[in-house]
Amino acid sequence: MSWIAPALSIAGKDLRLEMKTRDVVASVGLFVLLVVVMASFSFPTGGEGREGVAAGVLWMAFLFAALLGMGRSMAIEKEDACLEGLLVSPAPREAVFLGKLFANLGFTFLVELVILPVFIVLLQLHPGAGTWLVVGGAFLGTLGLVTIGTLFAAMAVNTRGREAILPLLVMPVSVPAMVAAVKVSEAGFSGGMADGTLSWLLLLVGYDALFLLVALVTFQFVTEE
Amino acid sequence: MKTDAQQQPVGELRPDAIAGPSSGSRRRLWGIATLVMLPILLGMAFFYAPEDANQGAAQRIFYIHVPSAWIGFLAFFVVFVASIAFLATGKRTWDDTAASAAEVGVIFTTGVLVTGPLWGRPVWGVYWTWDPRLTSFLMLWLIYLSYIVLRGYVPEPIRRAKFSAVLGIVGFLDVPIVYLSARWWRSEHPTQFVVEGGDLPGKMLVTLLVGIATFTFLFLYLLSVRRSVARLRAQRELEGVAR
Amino acid sequence: MAGRPELGIALRQVSKAFGAQLALDHVDLQVPQGSFVAVMGANGAGKTTLLKVISGLAAPTAGSVTIAGIEMRKAGPKLRALVGVVSHETMLYADLTTQENLRFHAKLFGLRDPAEAVKRAVERLDVGHVLDKPVRALSRGTRQRVALARALLHDPAVILLDEPYTGLDEAAAASLSELLEELATPERVLMLTLHDVVRALSGPRRLLVLSGGRIALDEPIEGGTDEMAETYLELLRAEARR
Repeated sequence: MSWIAPALSIAGKDLRLEMKTRDVVASVGLFVLLVVVMASFSFPTGGEGREGVAAGVLWMAFLFAALLGMGRSMAIEKEDACLEGLLVSPAPREAVFLGKLFANLGFTFLVELVILPVFIVLLQLHPGAGTWLVVGGAFLGTLGLVTIGTLFAAMAVNTRGREAILPLLVMPVSVPAMVAAVKVSEAGFSGGMADGTLSWLLLLVGYDALFLLVALVTFQFVTEE
Repeated sequence: MKTDAQQQPVGELRPDAIAGPSSGSRRRLWGIATLVMLPILLGMAFFYAPEDANQGAAQRIFYIHVPSAWIGFLAFFVVFVASIAFLATGKRTWDDTAASAAEVGVIFTTGVLVTGPLWGRPVWGVYWTWDPRLTSFLMLWLIYLSYIVLRGYVPEPIRRAKFSAVLGIVGFLDVPIVYLSARWWRSEHPTQFVVEGGDLPGKMLVTLLVGIATFTFLFLYLLSVRRSVARLRAQRELEGVAR
Repeated sequence: MAGRPELGIALRQVSKAFGAQLALDHVDLQVPQGSFVAVMGANGAGKTTLLKVISGLAAPTAGSVTIAGIEMRKAGPKLRALVGVVSHETMLYADLTTQENLRFHAKLFGLRDPAEAVKRAVERLDVGHVLDKPVRALSRGTRQRVALARALLHDPAVILLDEPYTGLDEAAAASLSELLEELATPERVLMLTLHDVVRALSGPRRLLVLSGGRIALDEPIEGGTDEMAETYLELLRAEARR
């Protein structure tokens, strides 16, 4: 059985569920927006070199968004043994992982695309030609976060701490991806590629590829009882 | 529940599979080796190795700091290999090895993080330098702490082993990426102090190697001790005694 | 027992450990095609674990599980296409409607004509009147029927039900028994776990009793069900004494 078809069904189901309940986007979106607005108060507007600090704050916000969203998304599957329903179906384990990955990626990216313009306006940033870099970096960084996060969320919901221990698991491992993402966003906010930005982008691509592979291989061990 | 006569432990839960060959005598060997080497190392570090022209006496902590780092790294490599072995074979003893190596690794890594600032302060005036290796060890320390915390959250042993194995694999594969990112980040924020090792004069090199050997014995000793505790626990579980 | 054994389920020396507890202890079991098995036993005896190992949810610590001669370990997705599972939890998304849940699972199962499969399942389980209601709003009995519809979408040859009678009123329980009778054809394998001796002995054609992870009783159910009931109750008493 192919992987993509069941994965897309799962992602589609999550989207439909989200549209009905607005569970994830509402709580996550609002929270992140608040973080961004509060952070922007602590900035000297129009200050020099604020692109770097802005990038850091941005990724803290994105990290929270991703963690909250992924935790919630997997917790929903735990209710009424829905996750077991997925695992007992003919869909391969990899497809189940990909499905949740696509869903989490979708939600998080949606929240990010709303947050970004607000951020740019509030902090008076002028990315100009670097906008594509900001968006591209956001995608690559988010992909890395969500890959690791989806794998670990499947573990977290099966522990005593439930989805609450997800940040504890994800954050240490995702530090290099976060650093790279911040650097890329900083360059983007400053107008375009700087020295070393390409290296950071390649690091993100490497990170994403490596852990996507690892997650696909190990997901079955995480979900078998 | 079941009477003892009826319960026939299966596969890797059998007592003989858990106990393993005479680990006690090898452990004593490592312990003795450590006790012998440690004073030799200290003697060499303080008296045999020459004093560093630039850094003075504080540089001598190098002979503790660097071996700790190597062995800490070795410990996490053991976690990685044991994790893969556990997922491949399902044998519980691999999980015991991984868990033990992680805890011992945290001890050594803590040593690295403590001796680093102890070295930095007198020599460069600051407690922390964003040296890429030190930074990498900080991240490593955090990753393996999260490994240990995760284990505390999963009461069922086989599930705990599987989850830990996955985290152990992910954590170790992250290490080179952590190092690269720390290094590139540092090159954008260069600091005056260099902790690079250049060519070491002969006596320093010898002392360093003695240090690495000593710490290797210490590692093997601690690992063996910790593993025997893990096995005892597994045994008590089998006998139905509360942990 | 009618049917060809090689198209059924086979467990060979299957053990499943949870820490030091053996939920299944070196179990050997053959369930040929056409079987309708009632699985009973005290709580913790291994009934749920047995079903989980057959459905692929749980990986055995030792031994092998095969369906139609193929090992579960090797060909999970293919074998799961033959198995339908009903648990005491619904496996339905409470905030989606009946229709949405069924359509999702039909697509997930990779069915060639999901709409047709949903239609058939809805008719069979008579849940047409709640198609547009969110599952959260349904009664326990109706929810059960939707869960069954979900499990039958891909017309599985093996149907596993874990305590399906829990929480059902008389009418719903009777209707479930009727449905199970219908489903128990020579081509299928039906296994269900339950606690009610009377129900176990009126319908199913084989009684399996688990105790401490092992098979304590494995008998065809024919006449003389009073004897069977007695044997089972005796087993329970022995269990309680331990």
